[in-house]
Amino acid sequence: MPMQAGTLKEIAGKALVIAALAALFFQGARGQSNSSKASAGAKTTPATAATADDANKSSTSEVADTLKVAAEAVGLARWSGVGGQRLPEVDVINTMEIWGSGTTYVYNQSNKPGEPGAAVKTEYHAALGYNPPAMRVEMTRSSSGAPAQAGAVTQRTIEVVRDKYAWDESEIGAGLVPGKGTATPSMASVSNRLLQLWTLPYGAIKAALAAGDKTKVTTENGAKVITFPLSGQLAGVTVKATLDAQNEIAKVETRTDNPALTNLITETEYSDYKDHGEIATDVKSPGHIVRKQGGHQVLDIQVKILDANNPYLVFPVPENVKNAAAH
Amino acid sequence: MRRSIRVSGTIFVAAMLCFLPAAVFAQANGGPRMDHENTLPPEPVGPTPMAPDGHPDLTGLWNGLADNLLGVPNQMHNVGIEVGPDSTRDIHSGVQIATWPLQKRKPQNNEQNERAATLLRRMGSNRPIYKPQYWQRVKDFDANSNEEDPSNNCMPAGVPRMGVPSYIAQTPTYLVFLYPGQGGLIATATSYRMIPTDGRKHTNLEDLDGTWNGESIGHWEGDTMVIDSIGFNSTSWFDQLGGYFHSENMHVIERLHRDGNTLTWTVTVEDPDVLLEPWTTTPRVALLNPNPKAILDESLPCSERDFAHVVTKEHH
Repeated sequence: MPMQAGTLKEIAGKALVIAALAALFFQGARGQSNSSKASAGAKTTPATAATADDANKSSTSEVADTLKVAAEAVGLARWSGVGGQRLPEVDVINTMEIWGSGTTYVYNQSNKPGEPGAAVKTEYHAALGYNPPAMRVEMTRSSSGAPAQAGAVTQRTIEVVRDKYAWDESEIGAGLVPGKGTATPSMASVSNRLLQLWTLPYGAIKAALAAGDKTKVTTENGAKVITFPLSGQLAGVTVKATLDAQNEIAKVETRTDNPALTNLITETEYSDYKDHGEIATDVKSPGHIVRKQGGHQVLDIQVKILDANNPYLVFPVPENVKNAAAH
Repeated sequence: MRRSIRVSGTIFVAAMLCFLPAAVFAQANGGPRMDHENTLPPEPVGPTPMAPDGHPDLTGLWNGLADNLLGVPNQMHNVGIEVGPDSTRDIHSGVQIATWPLQKRKPQNNEQNERAATLLRRMGSNRPIYKPQYWQRVKDFDANSNEEDPSNNCMPAGVPRMGVPSYIAQTPTYLVFLYPGQGGLIATATSYRMIPTDGRKHTNLEDLDGTWNGESIGHWEGDTMVIDSIGFNSTSWFDQLGGYFHSENMHVIERLHRDGNTLTWTVTVEDPDVLLEPWTTTPRVALLNPNPKAILDESLPCSERDFAHVVTKEHH
């Protein structure tokens, strides 16, 4: 069907359709789990931090325009004319892999409020995907200097989440093949791990699009601020994403009024955006990530490589993890 | 800077060459050029012709409308991404994907087009699940496919990577499939298959020398032609993208179903040596060339001319 030059009416109509489909997207993403549906009936909690007064409410077109420039700024909204086709711009990001190094901070009961935790040198490696929503974070922590140094004590953790399942692996892909490692269910970690996925710049844009008309745009200190509620396992959490002058997401803050979810109060700063891929993709990613949780700094990572070329990353759920979730 | 421009140009020229056979074919047969505005499969039109034995007649020239199945829109559909005018859906998961109106596309140059195409071709969720010990190998093959792709240098794509046949001839006891060659960066040689449908059984696997296309035997299940293939070498990859290698124990089941002027091709790959579970492709739909006089033109000689100019890992 030939595409006619769009009238304002047509464009407005399409924007409404897209907003509705975006809302369906997030619901759909929440609903997948290895061929079974999860939390399909999850309701979206209204945005608690988005209750700006009427005068400050953003128009549908302002929200759509802001999300579009944010999506294009990081290379998420793309199209290709190879072969002469005329396809619309779509969200091209599904899987990606991040390698970085820096510091994590360990807290225990002896830490006083406001006091920084023990700094631990950390090698960071994350594999993630948005369809289905999943993330595998591998961290190797060294108590003193480089892992190879004499006397250094290293600890390697592999934390995985997919849909409603969370588990820890003794090695990558543990628990899928007999004799190859152990997968330990960790269902209580689902929300916390999913939050890491949806507060990455790409996750925040996807979730803001999915929140539909619940997403608001305001201006604070000259910067665009996008506010929207999460849903599914993260219902009750509101996200506030601040754009920098290049429309890249500079900060993502999560808030909740639910006292049972205070561990989901986070603040993550992103900076030094560029294409960090060994194979150029024009997907811009932050080179520096600093995350606070519950007011404490927990992570400070310099990104070395980010492969955004939708690499082969899969997150099959081990049977024992499924069984644990069923009981 | 100079290097990247040169590569971009190389890839662009290669991409154009990929479409050359289809373009030439379209001109030769008077077919219209298809400017995709979506990746939706064609809707079937007309009756399904039946062979004298009562089964559907698959005979015909498929994809004969200058619609190269290796083009970006079809590759997106092949990995399960269905793009409509206003919405995009991952067929495998059902997830809706954010879509912005065509009229508001941000301008891109050729290099950006190519990089976006690479992402678009890989964004689907329908991926074979390998055993964990092979995950890194698949990633490495895909990332280094400029060098690692076994179909480089005019080698066969093999079954099932070769896709939907461009021509099918059906007799009561066998099928003949023809696959024209491709030029450009993914140059492949012309290939054919002769598939018995006379009820014979497979040769013992141990007695077969592994080949690119394996030993294929077809039978009807209702109105669907089911082609069962074993006896492969372990050289080829089993899908267009992704570095999806396999072992000599790969077992491929192709299902072809004709509905009017459409042919739906679906493949299940079993390989317990490397896969955790069987993998089924997103169905691919080919369209019949309606011109009864249309023929397959001679393929250009397969000649690899581009690799000497590739200086990065950027690829299709």
